[in-house]
Amino acid sequence: MAGVIVKARFPRRRIVLTVATNLVRYLFGGAARSWARNAGGTAPALGSMTLLLVMAGLAGLTGFALHNLEQVEAGQASLLHVYLRDDTTGADILVLENRLAGDPRVASVTYVTKAEALQRAQRIPGLPQLADASDSNPFPASLDVQVKSIDDVAAIDGSVRYDLAVDPLYPTSYDRGAYQRIRAVLLGVAVAATAFLGLLGFVAVTVTMNSIKGAIHSRRDEITIMQLVGAPRWMVRGPFVVEGAITGVLAGSVAAAITFGLTWLGMSAAAGTFTQFAPGVTVTVAGIAAAAVVLTGLALGSGSSLISLRRHMET
Amino acid sequence: MRPVLNGHVRPIVEFTGVTRLYGSRRALDEVHLSLRPGELAFLVGPSGAGKTTLLKLINREIRPSSGEVWVAGIAAHRIKPSRVAELRRKVGVVFQDYKLLPRLTAIENVAYGLQVGDLRISDEEARDRSLDALEAVGLGDRGDAYPHQLSGGQQQRVAIARAVVTQPSLLIADEPTGNLDVDTAWEIMDLFEDIAAWGTAVLVATHNVEIVTRLQRRVLTLVHGRLVRDQPAGQTGRMAWLASS
Repeated sequence: MAGVIVKARFPRRRIVLTVATNLVRYLFGGAARSWARNAGGTAPALGSMTLLLVMAGLAGLTGFALHNLEQVEAGQASLLHVYLRDDTTGADILVLENRLAGDPRVASVTYVTKAEALQRAQRIPGLPQLADASDSNPFPASLDVQVKSIDDVAAIDGSVRYDLAVDPLYPTSYDRGAYQRIRAVLLGVAVAATAFLGLLGFVAVTVTMNSIKGAIHSRRDEITIMQLVGAPRWMVRGPFVVEGAITGVLAGSVAAAITFGLTWLGMSAAAGTFTQFAPGVTVTVAGIAAAAVVLTGLALGSGSSLISLRRHMET
Repeated sequence: MRPVLNGHVRPIVEFTGVTRLYGSRRALDEVHLSLRPGELAFLVGPSGAGKTTLLKLINREIRPSSGEVWVAGIAAHRIKPSRVAELRRKVGVVFQDYKLLPRLTAIENVAYGLQVGDLRISDEEARDRSLDALEAVGLGDRGDAYPHQLSGGQQQRVAIARAVVTQPSLLIADEPTGNLDVDTAWEIMDLFEDIAAWGTAVLVATHNVEIVTRLQRRVLTLVHGRLVRDQPAGQTGRMAWLASS
């Protein structure tokens, strides 16, 4: 072979392979074995975390639906119907319409005739009977004013209420405080849900921390050996974080399946009602919520393990 | 890293005015000592004298309250937690209760110590080096045995193989013969002498008066946390006082 240059592969690839093999064996394999050994001790953590994640998933979807409902309500609340007198003139209406259209707080103004108001009323459940009961059309013509910000609706109402063209008995659709009441109720629901989930989260984290404490205790000899032979800190702690992550991902997967399943069942059973009560919640949204639940489980499990390691493992 | 002093072999272990407090109790009090490569020394003293504390300071399981601890050129007294593993790879540790993993065979126990300390070591290399270490402690033919299939002396040999397989600069042993009969204890001591002869410093904490007296190695005596005596090799005498402590 004299004079022949032998080309050999740089051993880096082999080293990377060796490191990866050892990592899988000692970090992930060790964690999986330990998790299986301590499955009994992990069950309470798994149960409480699953419950928390199911509640979180459903609360998340409910919150999303309520947010959409609030948006719809906000849109409706910022649409002001200015009811016109039956005997008003076209000129007065035009003056009022132009004044409103020129207001920078107003997005749009639409004139709705009495006939259009009747047609619209007939689409609302209950109102056709009311309309039929009268020989004449009881619904007034109106100017539908879309206000840019819901905060300006009261001011616009005040500026049109006493106009010559406006019905003095029932001038506008403005209901002071209706939207605020809806918001207050939603805020209350959100605060209560957050507090409940926080409490459940605390329980889940505490139980998971205890299960990791148990795992640390049962593997103390192995930990001692790893520490004394100079295993890096992340190598000693890593399997416990992975173990917590396994618990979290399992709990998350079960919770995700339940969350997705319940949503899908709801959608399949009564699509119309579901859309009305949970606007915006689709199969895609439910899928995203399920994925978020799994990721939350992963974060919760590994995070709880990290806290437990900080508290219970000596360096 | 400490500079090498001209004309002097740098000590593997160096304590300078080391004090360790547990609350108000002084577990170690102003200890000065050094250990050279290839030196075998015994650490003796009554229970609670501070022997284990001294070994823990070397392995940076604890920090000194004051003073300096240098191990293989590393300042153990001020080392960052992230570098402790680096220090420990230079120190082999042997315990009285062996601390072998029961689910692993002898060779796997040794290889485990090697691979978790350095993930770059392949299975083949780990197996070869572990087998060499087991052969060095006289257990080359028992590599596939589980700890419960081995005698106490054999388990301690496996533990020693695990401690030396990384070729540490220093081996520390805390009562390594405490659970062994006299003959087995002598075999373990022979091993420590061999390890020291290879150039590794060996520090053995023990209560075994007979071994300390007969081997005539350096003896460091701790009483109430103070290093009260540092007798060079060959000058240890009968040490009847140790038996009474």
